Amino acid sequence: MIRNHFKIALRYLFKNKLYSILNIVGLALGIAAFVIITLYVGYERSYDKFEGSDEVFRVYMDYAEGGNFVPGDAQTYNLSGPTLKKEFPEIIEQVRLYRLEKVTFVNGEKIIQQPNGSLADASYFKIFDHPLIEGNLSDFEKPNTIILTKTLAKKLFGKKQVLGKSLEVFDGNGIRLEIVGIINDIAQNTHYKTNFLISYPTMNTWDMGNNAKPNWSGNNFFTYLKVAPGIDKIALRKKIMMSDFEQDPDERHNIEAISDIHLHSDKPFEAETNGSLSRVRFLSAIGFIILILSWLNYVNLATAKSMERSKEVGIRKVAGAQRSQLIVQSLGESLLLNLFAVALAIGLAYVLLPLFNNFVGKELVLGLSNLGIILPYLAFILLGTLVSGLYPAMVISGFSPIRALKGKVVASRGGVNIRKGLIGVQFFATVVLIIGTLVVSQQISFLGEQPLGVDLSQLVALKGELLSNENDSITRQKSVVLESELSQLPFVKGVTQAKTYPGDGYDNLSSNVGITYPDGTSNERLLFYLYGAQPNYFEVLGIDFLAGKTYLRKNPGVHNFDIVINETFARIMGFTDMSEIIGKNVKFWDETWTVTGVFEDYHHFGLKSKIEPMFIGDINWAFGTGLQNVLVKMDATGLSLSVMDKNLDQIQQKWKTIFPQSTLDYTFLDKKFEAQYKEDTKFGAAFQLFTGLAIFIAGLGLFGLTSYTILQRKKEIGIRKVSGASVLQILTLLNRDFLKLVTISFILAAPIAWYVMNQWLQEFAYQTRLNWWVFALAGIAAFLVAIISVSFQAIKAAIANPVKSLRTE
Amino acid sequence: MLLELNNIFKWVNQGGNRVFLLKDLNLEVEEGEFISIMGPSGSGKSTLLNVIGMLDGFQEGEYKFLDESVHAMKEKNRSKLYKEYIGFVFQAYHLIDELTVYENIETPLLYKNIKSAERKALVADMLDRFNIVGKKDLFPAQLSGGQQQLVGIARALVAKPKLILADEPTGNLNSNQGEEIMQLFKELNQEGVTIIQATHSETNAAYGSRTLHLLDGRRDHK
Ligand SMILES: Nc1ncnc2c1ncn2[C@@H]1O[C@H](COP(=O)(O)OP(=O)(O)OP(=O)(O)O)[C@@H](O)[C@H]1O
Ligand SMILES: [Mg+2]
Repeated sequence: MIRNHFKIALRYLFKNKLYSILNIVGLALGIAAFVIITLYVGYERSYDKFEGSDEVFRVYMDYAEGGNFVPGDAQTYNLSGPTLKKEFPEIIEQVRLYRLEKVTFVNGEKIIQQPNGSLADASYFKIFDHPLIEGNLSDFEKPNTIILTKTLAKKLFGKKQVLGKSLEVFDGNGIRLEIVGIINDIAQNTHYKTNFLISYPTMNTWDMGNNAKPNWSGNNFFTYLKVAPGIDKIALRKKIMMSDFEQDPDERHNIEAISDIHLHSDKPFEAETNGSLSRVRFLSAIGFIILILSWLNYVNLATAKSMERSKEVGIRKVAGAQRSQLIVQSLGESLLLNLFAVALAIGLAYVLLPLFNNFVGKELVLGLSNLGIILPYLAFILLGTLVSGLYPAMVISGFSPIRALKGKVVASRGGVNIRKGLIGVQFFATVVLIIGTLVVSQQISFLGEQPLGVDLSQLVALKGELLSNENDSITRQKSVVLESELSQLPFVKGVTQAKTYPGDGYDNLSSNVGITYPDGTSNERLLFYLYGAQPNYFEVLGIDFLAGKTYLRKNPGVHNFDIVINETFARIMGFTDMSEIIGKNVKFWDETWTVTGVFEDYHHFGLKSKIEPMFIGDINWAFGTGLQNVLVKMDATGLSLSVMDKNLDQIQQKWKTIFPQSTLDYTFLDKKFEAQYKEDTKFGAAFQLFTGLAIFIAGLGLFGLTSYTILQRKKEIGIRKVSGASVLQILTLLNRDFLKLVTISFILAAPIAWYVMNQWLQEFAYQTRLNWWVFALAGIAAFLVAIISVSFQAIKAAIANPVKSLRTE
Repeated sequence: MLLELNNIFKWVNQGGNRVFLLKDLNLEVEEGEFISIMGPSGSGKSTLLNVIGMLDGFQEGEYKFLDESVHAMKEKNRSKLYKEYIGFVFQAYHLIDELTVYENIETPLLYKNIKSAERKALVADMLDRFNIVGKKDLFPAQLSGGQQQLVGIARALVAKPKLILADEPTGNLNSNQGEEIMQLFKELNQEGVTIIQATHSETNAAYGSRTLHLLDGRRDHK
């Protein structure tokens, strides 16, 4: 019996090629999209899950802001971890990690710069699941020892034995570190990535200023805790929040589960830009929508098609088949078709995954290793197949045999309504997705068009590490010489230096609390940011002054207490007339500072964040010493790539003559600023892609369904034409029903899309308006999709010679 | 008594009017009979066969098959009756286009849960008997009308039914082919199979042991 069913199913699929292809391709696309999205979502959710990760928490700082505590800093003090461990017996381990970025290692000829590394307590290995594969942990308690990842060890030493070897760090001090261990590479789905660990006591032998001493003043350490299994974690968190060993009413410690960080945490000074929960949710929703759309398609096509098989059903019933047997047969056919689709989908996903990986910058794999992620979804797919096969099976098995044999089975009114409903649901989802796509791309271009208050075009930041040992004041002098040398170049319009710049994020910015305003009032709760720059910084970056002007350069060695502030800060201090604050004094860090200018607000962090109160002061003891970013503004000749290459060569030559022993990196400021929205841009593109797919699937469904409807109405169309109906009238007739459906779906979908996208926009400090035309456009697009997919077939039917279609009847 | 119809009424409502398809119909069929139903087009021959074959219901009256009331039966039991007692032959052959001759004939056996080896033997018997062994792997579209009807009859007979219901079985055939089929029915009848056929042809009707005349859904006794 099964063989008989299988045979007939296969013959049927091959006989009805168009139908089978529409169905299988539609399903396969839906399933492939779903599989890829599932992998992506599974990957995003897989961050920091390891043996024992349930007991691991990260400590972070809350800052008081307007009477409430808000997450203020992902990093904590070097006393935070040890103190918490001492105070709370529930905490059995703590580790402090001090992040080292762009460290350059030298092994003979080999010079390798590493983006991520850390100084770490040896307890790192008791908390994280990264055991030593070589070496002895007790050696890591000693200063000047280092543990490398396998890859880094191989890069530096090749295949040789590395334990016990020593490695030089280029920081000007000729430090040598002994290699005491090797660990496996840290997985990419880890929020704290590190390529090497240097022992914590090493800090004492380095010139690390305040950081080397236990203190409650500089929070530059990531702290992770391991708690005893089975403790009340919520209670512990409350106790930590209530504790006040730091004795600062404006700050408090807080903890979060390590596996929550990647999708839930977006604090200043994170170890890396984390993922976004809302993005993951949006994508999951899109994945499910696409899958369900393709099933609806299947239900629709299969039900319509089943009418053609009424004769077979009639014969089988007369031959003694029970309804349940016919249902099983029909379900079996669904299963077969779905199996083809799943096979095709897996093939598609396999082929498309590398492209998708490239696009999202992940390393998703489709294989047996992550079967765990996919398996529950496969069960879901199977269930969906059964459910979507059930409706056509019920319809087909319910035919009355004589009617079926007479070929008089016409779709019941109820059945037609159900199918129309399904199409309606498809268009509903399509309209929501179209609106979503439009809003996302509108928001992204809105961000691009937003005046930043600063001109980043043709600006390049030069950043180097000195490989020679010289003191700061000499470096400063040399850098000033470099500045004037660079300004001599014909294509250079201006040169300046700064500790950080717009788009650089929080990395080189200091945040502070505690200031006294010119009127004598103090604010201990306001978080403000500051950095150092040369006086001509504002001119080079095109930042305008609302009042006053930039600070004057003082002689070397003279402390410069002149600063400028942004408009936001002036307003917070209570000034509405910006000129009034010029020459007034503010106090922080136990010093008195004079405001010489108020500059127009510019966006330092990108448009996801609002503008924060900010100071900028001269590069000096307070705001940065040594070699800073050298910012070079070039003229428009650099728009040509080949000219730009030559220009950069000349810049590099100047650099090398002044700093012969150094590394040099350059960054284009506009590119770096845009990179802040990289994830959003990718999200937008992914959204577009999947929306396109959904629209295509919905179109496919309509196309299949109309070809069927038209087949059924061929005679009617013929008669109407013979009676004088024009092609246009016939097209209208065939389109009318579907267009009604699209209208209804649109009316239902628009408010829902409005609500959802409004929620999404809340993530941004600067939001595009939800324009009416977005909705209009989505409506028109849905109409067009409907008209095109219907008319494709309808035109053929409408212009066909009526006599022919009548004669064949 | 194989089956018995007592005062059967069947109607449809058309625009508020009751249109009778069968009106106060009585019929008794003994095992081994060969009955021909005749009457003008639209008189209700097919309707009556469908009612007897339980493919269609009726509104009033009583239908007993082997002394069991059919109208009280569930669909499941009815399909059991088809399986065990009834074979259908249609004017329009009604073969499954996607199945070969062999598979078409085999279909009723599948629903009787007969083992594969036995199925093979039964189908082979039929192919032999109707001289269509050479055609067993062809699809219906590759056969002539007469051959298709032979396959239809083979399928009706393969499960060894006690009753054959044939609705104009020769309607689409030429007179030679028609005569062959009638000859076949006669043989079957002699082997003990009960046959009820609807026909327009006096010649065909003459093969039967008695003829039932219908007019407007009633028995025409004149
Ligand atoms: N579902 C139905 N609704 C309305 N009328 C019906 C229906 N089925 C059959 N009829 C009518 O019942 C009458 C009897 O039909 P039936 O098919 O039984 O006639 P018949 O004697 O087999 O005719 P023919 O010799 O042409 O096959 C016809 O007038 C037909 O129009
Ligand atoms: Mg008839």
